[in-house]
Formats: sequence, structure tokens, C-alpha cells
Amino acid sequence: MAVVPPAQSHGGSFRQAARLLRILLGHHKRLFFTAVAGAAVFATCTVLSSVVLGKIADDLIVPRFENGSVARGKVALVLGTLIFIGLIRACGVVVRRTWAGRTSWRITESLTARVIDRIVAQPVPWHRRQSTGDLITRAGVDAEAATAVLGPLPYASSVVVLLVLSCTWMLIVDPVLGAAATAVFPVLLTLNVVYQRRVNHHFSTAQVELGNLSAAVHESFEGVHVVKAFGAERRETERLAVIAYRLRAARVETVRLRSVFEALLDGVPNVVNVLLLVGGAYRVRSGAMTVGDLLSFIYLFTLMVLPLRLIGYALSELPHSQAGWARLEQLLDEPLEADPALVLTRGPTNDVDIRDVWATHDAEREVLRGVTAHVSAGRTVAVVGATGAGKTTLLHLIAGLIPSSSGAITVPQGGTAIVFQEPFLLAGTVRENVTFGQHYSDDAVSDALAAAEASFVLELPDGLDTMVGERGVGLSGGQRQRIALARALVRAPAALLLDDTTSALDPATEAKVLSNLRQVLGETTVIAVASRPSTIALADDVLYLVDGAVVAHGTHDVLIESNEHYRQLMRAFEHDRESLDESAASDTSPDDAWSAS
Amino acid sequence: MIDEPIGRWSAAETINRGVKEAPALKSGFGKTLSFALVGAGGRVAVPVLLQQAIDRGFRAGRVDVGMVTVLASIGLAVVVLATVCQRIAVRRLGYRSEEALYGLRIRLFEHIHRLSIADHNEERKGSLVARVTSDVETLAQFFSWGALAWLLDGTVMVLVASVMIAYDWMLAVVAFVVAAPLALVLQRVQSYLVAAYERARVDNAEVLTNVSEVVSGAETLRAYGAGQRYAGVAKGASHRRSNSNIRAGTIGAFLFPSGEVFGVLTVSAVVIVGLLRGPSGGLTAGALIGFIFLTYRFLEPIAEFTEVLDQTQTAVAGLRRVLGVLEIPTGPPESKHPVALPMGRLGIDIEHVTFTYPSRGDDDSAPVLIDVSAQIPAGQQVAMVGETGSGKTTLGRLVARLADPSAGIVKIGGVPLTTVANDELRSRLVVVPQEPFLFEGSIAANLSFARPALSMEEILAAIDELDLGDWLDALPDGLQTEVGQRGSQLSAGERQLVALVRASLVDPDVLVLDEATSSVDALTEVRLTRALDKLAQGRTTIAIAHRLSTAARADRVLVLEHGRLVQDGSHAELVQRDGPYARMYEAWVSATT
Repeated sequence: MAVVPPAQSHGGSFRQAARLLRILLGHHKRLFFTAVAGAAVFATCTVLSSVVLGKIADDLIVPRFENGSVARGKVALVLGTLIFIGLIRACGVVVRRTWAGRTSWRITESLTARVIDRIVAQPVPWHRRQSTGDLITRAGVDAEAATAVLGPLPYASSVVVLLVLSCTWMLIVDPVLGAAATAVFPVLLTLNVVYQRRVNHHFSTAQVELGNLSAAVHESFEGVHVVKAFGAERRETERLAVIAYRLRAARVETVRLRSVFEALLDGVPNVVNVLLLVGGAYRVRSGAMTVGDLLSFIYLFTLMVLPLRLIGYALSELPHSQAGWARLEQLLDEPLEADPALVLTRGPTNDVDIRDVWATHDAEREVLRGVTAHVSAGRTVAVVGATGAGKTTLLHLIAGLIPSSSGAITVPQGGTAIVFQEPFLLAGTVRENVTFGQHYSDDAVSDALAAAEASFVLELPDGLDTMVGERGVGLSGGQRQRIALARALVRAPAALLLDDTTSALDPATEAKVLSNLRQVLGETTVIAVASRPSTIALADDVLYLVDGAVVAHGTHDVLIESNEHYRQLMRAFEHDRESLDESAASDTSPDDAWSAS
Repeated sequence: MIDEPIGRWSAAETINRGVKEAPALKSGFGKTLSFALVGAGGRVAVPVLLQQAIDRGFRAGRVDVGMVTVLASIGLAVVVLATVCQRIAVRRLGYRSEEALYGLRIRLFEHIHRLSIADHNEERKGSLVARVTSDVETLAQFFSWGALAWLLDGTVMVLVASVMIAYDWMLAVVAFVVAAPLALVLQRVQSYLVAAYERARVDNAEVLTNVSEVVSGAETLRAYGAGQRYAGVAKGASHRRSNSNIRAGTIGAFLFPSGEVFGVLTVSAVVIVGLLRGPSGGLTAGALIGFIFLTYRFLEPIAEFTEVLDQTQTAVAGLRRVLGVLEIPTGPPESKHPVALPMGRLGIDIEHVTFTYPSRGDDDSAPVLIDVSAQIPAGQQVAMVGETGSGKTTLGRLVARLADPSAGIVKIGGVPLTTVANDELRSRLVVVPQEPFLFEGSIAANLSFARPALSMEEILAAIDELDLGDWLDALPDGLQTEVGQRGSQLSAGERQLVALVRASLVDPDVLVLDEATSSVDALTEVRLTRALDKLAQGRTTIAIAHRLSTAARADRVLVLEHGRLVQDGSHAELVQRDGPYARMYEAWVSATT
């Protein structure tokens, strides 16, 4: 939760508020002004209803109790007016609330849509610079915060009507008492605004502390094994108690302020009412006003309490809305970045050609340094290298996801399909996750799943309609990976890019997947990042990268023979197996040798 | 399940138990209520003052200003007193509830940490966090509004109704009868409103899901040209959310106006009956006018009450869930008469151990371990192997006393675990979990988690001891390097290194290692092997092995299958012998060649 910025100078903040309103209301002015009109009706009827209350006293009750009788017609007229005004006032409230809700939700909706469109329009490099949580916050929380001020605004605006009407009416009825009563409104208004400002500060502090508390609880339960392993339960409880105490302290501050304000909000109008009664007694005695007028004054005061409160509330929402809108504006105003896919050359064959390609990471560190390679149609190339050699970057370049700083890449016209290291599944059916909204027959989907060794989903009760992802069936990393692979295969791409796709599978399944690929792919060119010797050995060729440059390009066997570093790398990959062989060979069980993993 | 056994408690029973858990709520409540009652006097004061003033000061067109002033002075005193008392009541309620919530949070947190590890499974983690945060927060919201409304509005309504009846019971009956349907109308509207907001809540969650997919799946969606389509899906969800919120808002818009409509109807009825009766029935003009004001005051809180009732139900449900967690028995109980462990190296005896997870529902309550026995002499290096679900992880946990066996005994140094003091056990036996968890903070902070009193020198010495000095030097800020959330700034291998140092700082006699499955880069692998060698040296070590290479290096291998110990021997022996281990070894060798 954003901490409320300190109040700015009045002129500036008023102009800013006006600007925010202009922008927000945009195409939804009619909704907003309908709500304001409803509020105006409500305000007018509020004043009228207190006038009628005075009439009930003056025209009905006093005559009946002092003169003994009152005309029936008069009773019907006055009470009829009371009920009529009450009904109109109720309608005003319904219109105001309904349309105020429409205004803020429709505007939230268009803001959310603009943010989503913008997010989707930006290419991958932009996304990599953003934090996921931040973008989600902007589309959700910030869009709602930006419009939060619109909710109470119509009601708050009715206060202006209410103040003008009631002050005018009171001054007309009795200039002296009216002026005295009118003078109290600014006091009440100031009380509200001051309270909201101050309580907001504590409220924000409490929200921050609540966030801290949740984070601490989450972390502590997440690490419960460690806590138990070191017998640290008591220490953890003490740590949490400190945070919980800070939350409590912030809340107690809020309570302290609130207790004063709640009491004053009830107390001040009551005190004013008592004083009005004394002043009114003089004015009634001098004949300046009737008892009914005095009662109207008093009743009006009780009715003013809530609307005045709303003005304070609306003003307190304003900084939140401004902060929310500022964050949206920043995102929407960012220039749209160029789509790296547009600079790829499309070739007529299924060949993939990479010519002197350079690429940087974060515009400083060079990840690829003059990579040149040609992969002929239908060949399978394994991209091999240590962590940080630039394998994934190369794949993403070919997929047109990120731009190169120089060089040329030619990809087949028939399109490429990439399968990422971390599979991404939507919360949806298996079918939808394979098709991604394109039209493929169920047979095609099933075939792709079979080739990816993901036929297990067909055996589930709902088959292709099985829900996966959030709220769906839980899938292992390997199962998710295979569904993501099927998504690529169903498209029968001209070039298939696999980023360590099969690493999450056990070696046996991996071998099956790879042999399936050879059968179904035909003329498809495959470029696969791989780190298992068994996988690498299945490729036609190996492209060996060291520090962003191609060191060797040839078959696995040739590279093993000719390149010492490659041999070492393969040994590192095989490390686990070798360590086993060694110890199996030596019959003695090592006392202190423990292979870690 | 956590939420089930307590569903049976009635609201009254729940509140009763809640007060027992959080006694701050009850202490001094009578006083708070008394202050609130006097505070409510402020609302009654003005109508009563009006009645008195009109009847005594404004009689027959003659105004007795002196009389009015005297009455007003009394009224002013009452109003000021009421304001002060109201403030005290609000503050008392607020302070007490914050104190109670603070206590409840800590009580819950402590209790959850003391639950058996079996209660801390993945499915439950989220709901346990929710108990301490969002459920307690539901209570906090209730106390900051609902409880306040009960207290203030409740006392006002009681007081106003009493004064109304005292003035004129017949008018009071008229007012109550005409206003009564309002309660029904409001209840109806409220029930629609609850359903509408539930719908809005679901739609809101849907928007969040869709937006986070568009964001977190951005690369995949772009690679497959599906961005526009799923942006459309998210926008559609956002439109539905607007619709359902607008609908809920529209229903909600009828709540207060219905109070308004019933207000004018009730006042009209009171006025008509009052006029009909006239002065003959002992009724006065002042009383009737005062009565009108009282009627409005009586009706004011009703609309709010219906919302408060709903919030109260939510709060009671939250409290019920919170109390439900407190009902779960805590994990391995601390021994009342602890027996000290012998000095020196400690062996482990596992005697006829059977274990069933208590919390996994009825259909899946088959035992995870069945009658497992093994004697592990001090200093032996043991590897436990078996497929996922064979029970090896559970057996490791039982040895570490993260849970107690359902049947059978585990002994350490010849002493049953159940009679060892927890603090002593934790200083003699340490578990290194599979995915070592690091807390957000520096490496130093994570290391001193093992023993908070350690000096930097001791920590550095332990790092050197495990041959990790070069690793530490390579870190940007050395020991002060921030590890990020859950240690995300470090690689999986580095997190394991930190966990090993953390374990070594305790200098335990027994190590339980849950071996990691994630792969690690070659250099870190070398460091890990080296550090682990040093750490294991001279200590009884039980490894839950996921790699056969680990088993091959151990003194002894325990093979588990479906919860039973099926083979026990050295790697070399077991490879020769026909059995599950030899089969596992075959499959593994062929797969990696």
C-alpha cells in the first residue's frame, strides 16, 4: 500500500486533482454527471425534508395541542409532502449510488484494458526488465486505486449543494441565527478533513505493517523445516511478536484518533443543537422565527453530519487515486519498443542461418560474440556449452524474441516454435494449452501429445478437457514440459527450438521423446540446447559455445576426439555416473567420502 | 482437513471459545458497555431537551428564555459527558480488541510452529498462513467497524427505544409496528447483496488470474502469437468483473433508501396517531416532537445493522477457522522428565517403527512405514534409498523427531527420542533439508540462525573448516551478501552450501541429510562434495539418497519399498544380490550410458 504523500500546496493539488478528474472521466462523463444529478436531488430533498419537519410542528402539532384542532386536509398535505420528498430523496440516493458505481467500474475497466493492451504490445526485452508482480499490480490494484476517488465524489459534491441550499434557506428564515449556524459548517468540514488526513497516515502505516507481518508469517511457515531442525520455534515467535506489536501500535494510534473523532462527530452537532435551541428561544420570543423553523434548523444539522464526513473521505482518497494514476500513466506513456521478430529474414527453405550475430545482455555484457552457423533443413543440432555460454540467448534470437546488436538471422518462412526451459501453462484445459486458441482437431492434438510422450492426459477421466494450471490437476515438471512440447509439435513448425526441454524428464522418457521427434518431424529443423550426453549424442551435429562464441561445430564424436575442453565438459555432465563407477570398482566402502548432489 | 472438525461449533460456542483464547476481550467489557450506554445518552439528549423546552419554555406562544437556558445548560452537560464517555468506550473497545488480536496472532503462530511436520504439508501451507493473516484480519475488520456498531448503535437503539416507550408506549408500538417490515426488507436486500458480492469476488479473482497469465506468460504468448487473444480473455474477465460489481452496487444502493422510505412512513404514522389522540391522553406537543426525533434516531442504525450482521457472520467464520487450528494437537510433545543424552558419538536405533500420516483424509491413510527396524552404530554413514513414496523421507523425519512414529520406538544414543529434551536433541542432531530454506537477509543472518550468539570469527572459522573460503571470497559482499526471498539470489547449490555451514555451526553428533535432486553446476558440485565430506566426518550420518552414487559411497544402504525395509547391506553386497537394489542399479546405469 502506498504511503500517502504529504499534502501539497493548495493551488497545485487542486489543479492536479482537476486534471486527474478530466482524464479519468474521459468518455464516461454522462455516467458521472448522472450520479452528480442524483446527488443534487438528494441534497435538495434533504433540505426540503427539514423544512417539512418544521411545518409538521408549526402547522400540525402546535395548532392541535394549543388550539385543539387541525384540518384534515392540512395533515394530508403536510404528511403527503413529507412522504413524497422522502421517496424522491430515496430515488436520488439510488441514482447517485448506482451511477457512481458504474462510473468508477467502467473507468477501471477501460484503464485495465489499456494497461493489458500495452503489456501485450511490448516485446520480450521490455518484459524482462519488468517485475511480474509490479505489472499485475498496475493492471489490478493501481487501476482500481486510480478510480477510487470517483466513488465518494458524487456524494461529496452533493455536500456543496447541501451547504449552499441550507445556508441560503437558514439565512432567509433568520439572518441572525442562520449566520451563527452557517459558521459551524466550516468547523465541521475542517474537523473531517483534518481527521481523514491524520488517520490516513496511521492507516497506511498499519497496512505496511500488516504486509510485513504477512511476509514474515509466510516466510516462517515456508521455512518450518529449518525452524524445527534448529529448535528455533521460540525465537521465531519472538521475531513475529515484534512485527505484530508494531502492527498493534499503528492500529492503536488509529483507534486513539478515531475515538476522538467519532465522539466529536456525534458531540459537536449535539452541542450546536443545544446552543441553537437557546439562540432560537430568543429569536422565537422576538418573533423572528417560529418553533418549527427552529426545529428545522436542528434537524438539518443532524442530517448534515454524514455528507460532511464523505467530503473528508473523498479528499482522503484523492492522493491514492493520484498515486495509482501516476503509475498507470508511467506505463502507458512508455514508448512501444520495436518487435525483434520483424528484423529476421525469412528464407524459402527450412534452413536456419546465423551470420556474425552479436548480442548483449542489459546492453553491457556481451553474451554472443560473432556467432555464425548454418543449420540445413531437417537437421538436428545440439547447442552445447557451460552455464552462461549464450545457448538460451541464441535460441531466443532465432525465435525472434530478443534483438541482436548486429548480424543477420534467416529463419524458415514456415515459422519457428520454441519450447522454453520453464514451461508455461495457462489455467485451462489441456486442449487449450496445446492449441493456444488456434484451431486444431482433437486428433492433431492427441497426436502431438503422443509424440511428446504426454498421452497420460488422454487416460485422465476428462481427457483433453482436463483442467491444468491453477485449480487444475497438479502436474510434475516433466509432465508440464511435455504438454508445452506438444504445443510446439501440433503447429508442425519449419524449425523447432528446444531450450533444455527434456531435462526435466527421466533419461528413459527423454530417449523416447527424442526418437518420437525424429519420426514426426521429417523436414523440420531442430535446434536444441542440451546438457545430457545421451541427448547430445542423438543430434546430427553439435554447436559448441564458449563465452558467446562458436568454438566448434561438428558431430559429437568428432568433438570428443578433437576438443579437450569439450571432453572436459562432457565429463562434468557425466560426473555423477563416473563417481559411481569408481566406487563400485573399488570394493572398499569409503568412510568419509560422500557424494553430494 | 483443518476447516472441518470445527464446522460443528455454533456461533455462541465459537465466540465463547474465542473469548477464552483471547481473554482481553472479556476483561472490563462491562465497563466499556457502561461507558457506551452513557455515550448513547448524547443521541437521546437532544430529543428529550426539545420535548422539555417545548413543553416548559415555549408554552402558548410565550417563550420562557430563562427556562430554556436552564434546560439547555443541563442538556449541554449531558451532551459533553456523553461525548467524553463515547470516546472512552470507543477507545477501550479498540485497545482491548487490538490487544486480543495481537495475543491471538502470536498464540496461533506459536501453535502452528509447534504442529507436527505432518501438518505442514504443501496443501496446508497456504491455509495455515491464511489463518494467521487473513482470518485474524477478518476479526480485526470486525472489531474496527462491526463490533463498534454493535456497541454504539446497539446501546443507542436500546436507549432510544426505552425512552420512546417511557414517553408514550402507544406511539412507540405504532412506530415499531410500522418500521418492523424494514428489517425484513433489509434482510432480503442483504441476502441478495451477499450473493452479488460473492459473484464479484469470484470475478475479481478471475481477472487476477488472467492478468497474471498475460504477464507471466508474456514470452510464451509472444512466441506463439497468442498475446492479443489472451489479452482479450483478460479484458473480457475485467468486463464481467465490472458488471458484477455494478450489479452488487445497484443492489447495495437500495439499502439506505429503504431506511429513508420507512423513516417517513413511520414518522407520518406517529404524527397521525399523535394528532388523533391530542392532548387528552396526557400527550404533549413537546413529547410528540421529541418522539419524531427519537423515531429518526431509532431507525438510523438499522440499515447499518444489516451490513454489520453479515460482517459478524464472516468474523465468526474466521474465528471458527482460527480456533480450529488451535484445536489441532501440537507435534511431538516435549518430555516432562527429559533424560540426558550420553556424551560422545551417538548411534540410532529404529525399532519396529510404523507411521501413518494423520491428516491425509480417509482414502489415503495407508501407513507410510511398516515395522521398520535397523540399528545404526555411532559414526556409521547410512544411505536410505527407494522410489518416491517408499517412506525413506518419512523415516528420516522420524529419526530427526519432526514427527513421532505411530508405533515403535526411535532411540538416539540408546535413549528414546520421546524422552530427550527438544533443545538437547536440536544441539546433537541436525537435519539438512532437501531444498534448504533461507530466510530473507544476509548469509551471516542465515548462518547465525543455527546459534544466534555466534561471533563473526566463529562463523568464518566454520566456513574455512568446510573449505568454503574461496566461495565466500567470490561473493559480492562476503557474509553480508543478501540472499533474497527464500534465498533466490543464490543458486540452488549455493543455498545448499549455506545450509551445510549452518548445520556445521551446531556441531551435531548426528546428521540427517535429505539429498537434493536439483542439478548443480560443476564447480559448486565439487565444493558441495568437499564440504559434505568434512561435515560428515566422524558423525553418524543418515542420508535420504536420491542418487545411487550417494548410496554407493555410504557404509551401508537401507532399501525401502512401499514402507518396508527390504534390503540392508553395503552397496557392493547389494549390487551382487538379486533384489530391488540391483534392479535399480541396472536401470540407472543403462539410462545414463
